[in-house]
Amino acid sequence: MTERKAIDLGLGVLDQELVDADGGRCGRVDDLELIGGPGEPLRLTALVVGPATWAARAGRVGRLAGKLYPDGETVVPWSEVADITHVVELKKTDAELGLGEGDERARRWLSRLPGG
Amino acid sequence: MSKPFQIALGILAAIGGFVDIGDIVFATTAGATFGYELLWATVLGVVGIIVYSEMCGRVATVAKRPVFDVVRERMGFGFGLATLVSSQLVNLMTLAAEVGGVALVLQLLLGLPYRGLVAVALVTLLLSAWFLPFEWIERVYGFGGLLLIVFTVAALKLGPDWQQLGAGFVPGLPSHGTELLWGYFIVGLVSAALMPYEVYFYSSGAVEEGWKPPDDLGLNRLNAGLGFGLGAFLSISLSVVAAQLFLPRGIDPEFLGTVGLGVLNPLGQIGLLLGLLGIFFAVTGAAIDTCFSGAYNLSQFFGWEWGKYQGPRGAPRFTLTWIVFLGLGFLIILTGVNPIVVTEYAVVFSVVAMPLTYLPILLVARDEGYMGEYANGRLGNVLGFLYLGVIAIVALSAVPLLVLTNMGQG
Repeated sequence: MTERKAIDLGLGVLDQELVDADGGRCGRVDDLELIGGPGEPLRLTALVVGPATWAARAGRVGRLAGKLYPDGETVVPWSEVADITHVVELKKTDAELGLGEGDERARRWLSRLPGG
Repeated sequence: MSKPFQIALGILAAIGGFVDIGDIVFATTAGATFGYELLWATVLGVVGIIVYSEMCGRVATVAKRPVFDVVRERMGFGFGLATLVSSQLVNLMTLAAEVGGVALVLQLLLGLPYRGLVAVALVTLLLSAWFLPFEWIERVYGFGGLLLIVFTVAALKLGPDWQQLGAGFVPGLPSHGTELLWGYFIVGLVSAALMPYEVYFYSSGAVEEGWKPPDDLGLNRLNAGLGFGLGAFLSISLSVVAAQLFLPRGIDPEFLGTVGLGVLNPLGQIGLLLGLLGIFFAVTGAAIDTCFSGAYNLSQFFGWEWGKYQGPRGAPRFTLTWIVFLGLGFLIILTGVNPIVVTEYAVVFSVVAMPLTYLPILLVARDEGYMGEYANGRLGNVLGFLYLGVIAIVALSAVPLLVLTNMGQG
């Protein structure tokens, strides 16, 4: 990013849609990974995606939802982020970043249907 | 695209959303119970859905964000999840009611056993949703639903008392019946008009159609105003027929067949056939609305690729979700529950999802940082907050009224 712009992490990154290099939607930012202790500079190192984060965000219901959909979590390094627009744009494809499994699984199911 | 087709989205969202099985039942029963005295409640409801669907369409056009995108962003994960769960439950109940409704109309049209026709309804819905492109779903079921206009013809032919009818548009206490029952019907009519799945479907449809500012903002206003206005007009026609035909005879239209009889009396066999076909298209459209809404919501909340225009390979989880949703709706109806009862519960319980859905929309639509020059004007904000108040009152009174009136049985 050549031009510096302020980013609102709470509203502009967390919970936003992830769009891969092919322009496909591939999940939402469920959590942020920040590194740095008290008094030290805080650095955003990665975006975290997946049901494993839900328990921390929505208590009991989140934990239940996480159990129903046990896909763990995928960590996307902050260096893979290309731009923050109204979505979070990524530099690589969903498959390269490990975000394409859900769609692949659904595609396998659908391929059994005519026209799928 | 030619003009009449451009308002197909609004018409389907409204015909499917407004004169779905729930509204057909509420509007007819309200007319049969209170005559013209509750017409104002439908007007109260329709202005609300026009205000909010216009906002949803505008946000979808300008920011490319459908409703659940906004819900997740503004409410965060926890509240967003609560909104998702409650709206999906209501969607599923409504879908089940519509599937049963399609079977009931088919039964009236074909005279075959109900259970077999539930399967026919499922196959019809699966094939339509799988093979028809989005625009053709809009056209076939939206415009097909317009056949309900025969109810307007029937209402006119029966010769309504215009003075009384006009007075029905002014809110007031009922001349007969209990006040609790009256309250229950107001809540029912207003919630049937504001069922949240209408805006889930409408806003996602605007993204499916690729609406862009500033040109398509006029189209959005036209769709919201004309589409939902037409829906309300048809719903009022149903009430007016019932007020003239069923109220004097003390008939409680608890069967869908009775609704159809409303046109048989003044218009004969052809009228009945057209009326039933209108109900068939409207209810099938509503079933597709709710089924897609379920898939839109889930996909948008989790950031999955979605959209009918993407095809099954382009949006696999979205496609799988609507198929599963349709299957679940089918299973609920297969247990033998009465679709008319399910629809009344769905309408009343939708009030839980309503404030959670409409609040974030209002917050985003009025946010200039987000919408720029297209943010709400003063009128939009005033109406938006006013209706949030109406929704809050309706939401707080719905369940107590449901219990106290024994679901409108008095």
